[in-house]
Amino acid sequence: MSQTPLNLYVVDDDEAVRRSLGMLFLSRGYSVQIFESGEAFLAAKQLDHQGCVVLDFRLDGMNGLEVLKEMRLRLSSLVVIFLSGHGDIPAAVNAVQNGAFGWLEKPCNHDLLLQKVQQALEHATQLAILKTEKDQALARWLKLTPREKEVARLVADGKTSKVIARELVSIEPRTVETHRANAFSKLGFSNSNELDRFLRHNDL
Amino acid sequence: MNAFVSLNHNGISTSKLFRKILLVLLFSIAVCLVLWAGQWAANRAFQTQADAIHRAIDINALGLRAEIAKYSALPYSATLQPDVINALSQDDAMLRQRVNLYLEDVNQRVGSDAFYVMDLKGLTIAASNWQSPKTFIGQNYANRPYFINALKGETGLFYGIGQTTAIPGLFVATPAYQNGKIIGVVVIKVSLRDIESAWSDFNAPIMVSDANGILFLGSVSAWKYQANRALEKDALEWLLRHKQYGERKVFSKVAWSVEYLKANSGYLIQTQLDGKTQRYLAFDQELPELGWKLTVMGDYKPILWARVTTLILGTLGTGLLIFIALYWQLREKRLIDQSNARQELEVRVKERTHELNESLAFQKAMENSLLVGMRARDLEGRIIYVNTAFCEMTGFSSSTLIGCLPPYPYWDQNDLTRHWHESKTVLSGNAALEGFESRIKHLDGHDVQTMVYTAPLIDATGKHKGWMSSVVDISEQKKSETKQRLLDAQLQHSARLASMGEMASTLAHELNQPLMALTSYASAARAFAEQDNQSLLINSLQEISVQSQRSADIVRRIRGFVKPLTTGVELCHINAIVNNVLSLLQPEIKRNQATVISKLAEILPAVSGDRVLLEQVILNLIVNSLQAMQSKSNEDRLITIETLMIDQSIHVRVSDCGTGISADVAENMFAPFFTTKTDGLGLGLNICRTIIESHHGELSFENRVNDISKGAIFSIKLPAQI
Repeated sequence: MSQTPLNLYVVDDDEAVRRSLGMLFLSRGYSVQIFESGEAFLAAKQLDHQGCVVLDFRLDGMNGLEVLKEMRLRLSSLVVIFLSGHGDIPAAVNAVQNGAFGWLEKPCNHDLLLQKVQQALEHATQLAILKTEKDQALARWLKLTPREKEVARLVADGKTSKVIARELVSIEPRTVETHRANAFSKLGFSNSNELDRFLRHNDL
Repeated sequence: MNAFVSLNHNGISTSKLFRKILLVLLFSIAVCLVLWAGQWAANRAFQTQADAIHRAIDINALGLRAEIAKYSALPYSATLQPDVINALSQDDAMLRQRVNLYLEDVNQRVGSDAFYVMDLKGLTIAASNWQSPKTFIGQNYANRPYFINALKGETGLFYGIGQTTAIPGLFVATPAYQNGKIIGVVVIKVSLRDIESAWSDFNAPIMVSDANGILFLGSVSAWKYQANRALEKDALEWLLRHKQYGERKVFSKVAWSVEYLKANSGYLIQTQLDGKTQRYLAFDQELPELGWKLTVMGDYKPILWARVTTLILGTLGTGLLIFIALYWQLREKRLIDQSNARQELEVRVKERTHELNESLAFQKAMENSLLVGMRARDLEGRIIYVNTAFCEMTGFSSSTLIGCLPPYPYWDQNDLTRHWHESKTVLSGNAALEGFESRIKHLDGHDVQTMVYTAPLIDATGKHKGWMSSVVDISEQKKSETKQRLLDAQLQHSARLASMGEMASTLAHELNQPLMALTSYASAARAFAEQDNQSLLINSLQEISVQSQRSADIVRRIRGFVKPLTTGVELCHINAIVNNVLSLLQPEIKRNQATVISKLAEILPAVSGDRVLLEQVILNLIVNSLQAMQSKSNEDRLITIETLMIDQSIHVRVSDCGTGISADVAENMFAPFFTTKTDGLGLGLNICRTIIESHHGELSFENRVNDISKGAIFSIKLPAQI
């Protein structure tokens, strides 16, 4: 498991809140970056980093939910914790459904906040690991020729060489056997079950 | 009633026509009856007269015949005398003288005119008038018809005028026989004067005419020797030859006109007698043995009179009957009219009584149903009338109140001065037309707030007799006014609470920010203290104090807004109020991502009012504007707030770029509980206007029609305190 450095970001339009949170996380040894708006955060091009964002729900300009949606759009794997004011619970639920890790009501117990941030960071680590694995699997998959990918998908469906040959029309069962052997070799699998699981797991 | 009259009218006209026909019929019958009665009376009178005439005829014919018969035997008896015969056959003077004496004697005794004897030649040989110078002796009367007839052996009867004497008379001649041979004729002449004179005593003419129609005898001498018909030539010649009526040669037509009656043998004669027109009814009786005709007349007047009298009497009788009938009818009609009039009068009296009762009942019901108390007083203030409502209002019965002079029983004993003043004002006619409020005491002791309106009481002759007051119980109204005031205040408070609720989350959020920061800084500070990181610890602590201050500020602002109604009025500076509201609303404005531009006048006089209430109004207007612009894009969310001085008023204008105000919304803009918001109470603007009006100001709104950007403008106008 590769140890990617984890980042902590705070986005809040209230300077005092922003800065106090920065001070809090700093005092606990986190490296933290603060932003005064969602726009500023999105512009910083750090969405592909691993880590956690503490995002104020009510922001000038784009609000928290809009920022979250934009992040998802940009395939960011940053874990989001919302800070919301009193009475924003429906919005918070909506946010969680949209993929936020959690939410906290202002003013919140700092221990709870720290705990939630820690959990988020661990989650981020898990995500990072999964991402690494996925990336590696993808790299292997990309080594296959198009015909091999084609055959591999059919094999993963549990079809025999004969059937595959009939479906692909222009090739012999023997050739199918060859492609299958190559794919297994390149991906490092020994049976079709493993192949199937791999394809599913990596959304290929 | 109308239908009834017209029906009756038709009845009258039909019956009138019928009655007219009946009357004409009755009248005709009456006329016929009268005419018939006249005719009947005339007939009866005619019959009576005719009977009388016939009786007269019988009597007179008998008389005439008897007179003639009396003398006609005399000549015959004379012929039986031997002296007379001898004298005829012998011319002996002595003998003739003896005959003369005999004749004279007989003539004298009988009373005839003359008695004489003639020989066959017609010569008179002896006569009763032998001594008279006009003696017949020696005279020849051979031409006389009686002589001629006697010679024939008949009795000669002849009426004529004597040739010698020129006196009319009846000649009766008888032949004298000797040995069966006529030897002479004996004649007696009789005057019929006695009969004539007897006739003239009769009331109507009696005439005798000969075979030729010549009237020779009768009671009317004027008609004598006149013909009742035209004489024939032969007859005239005969008359002249025989000199029947002397030397008379002309026999004129008698001067009468004859009208023959159809029914019987009688006829009517009209003539002039004694210079008078006379009408007679006449009947003839033939006397065949004499060859004469007896005509007896009767006065026709009684017959005419009988008819006329009967006609007059009949007419008078009928007239009397008609008169009586008319009188009777008139009397009946008058009786019916009187009866009708009496009935009509009775009906009208009934109707009138009914109407009166109804109107009384109506008036009574009206008075009883009135909630307004009515009290009438004379000029001295004595109560002369009260209605039920007034009695109920005061608790006193009308019998107690009527006749009372001030002080009245319902006056408040503790407030008599005021009552006396009010009463005097009213009785002197100085009471305000719009009425005045007066508190009175109910019998059971509770106060009654009344409104009293007074008008002069003028009687039918226009004389001012007193005062009529209507007294309205306004206790309930007063109570409800007080209630309304309390309710208004409560409503204002509720509205404040409502808008406070609206802002609560915003304010909470705002307060959350420094609290959040405080928590974080405190936690960090503790960590830094543990880590012995002095600089960051101090930094954190400084931040803590800054955020604490910020929290306190926010709390103070909230408290200023929420604190209870300030009842006092103070001098307020509008600009300060606007700024305060803007700072209070800053989070809300920010949340709505709106921009507020304030254009405040540099120098403004103060206004007198409740600062908190004015703040609330302005806050409400800005919040409304923010809500009105929610559908707009961020750049367009612009609110302009201005303060300015126009004339003696301070104006605050809040303009937005929202949707503006549609006509139907504008209509209900200030109505309570009217709202366009899904969760609004609809009290905001209503309360705002109440507040502004309680500050003697105006709250108005308009659409920004002349502007490029659309939206609404709300304006507050308040009097400036200079």
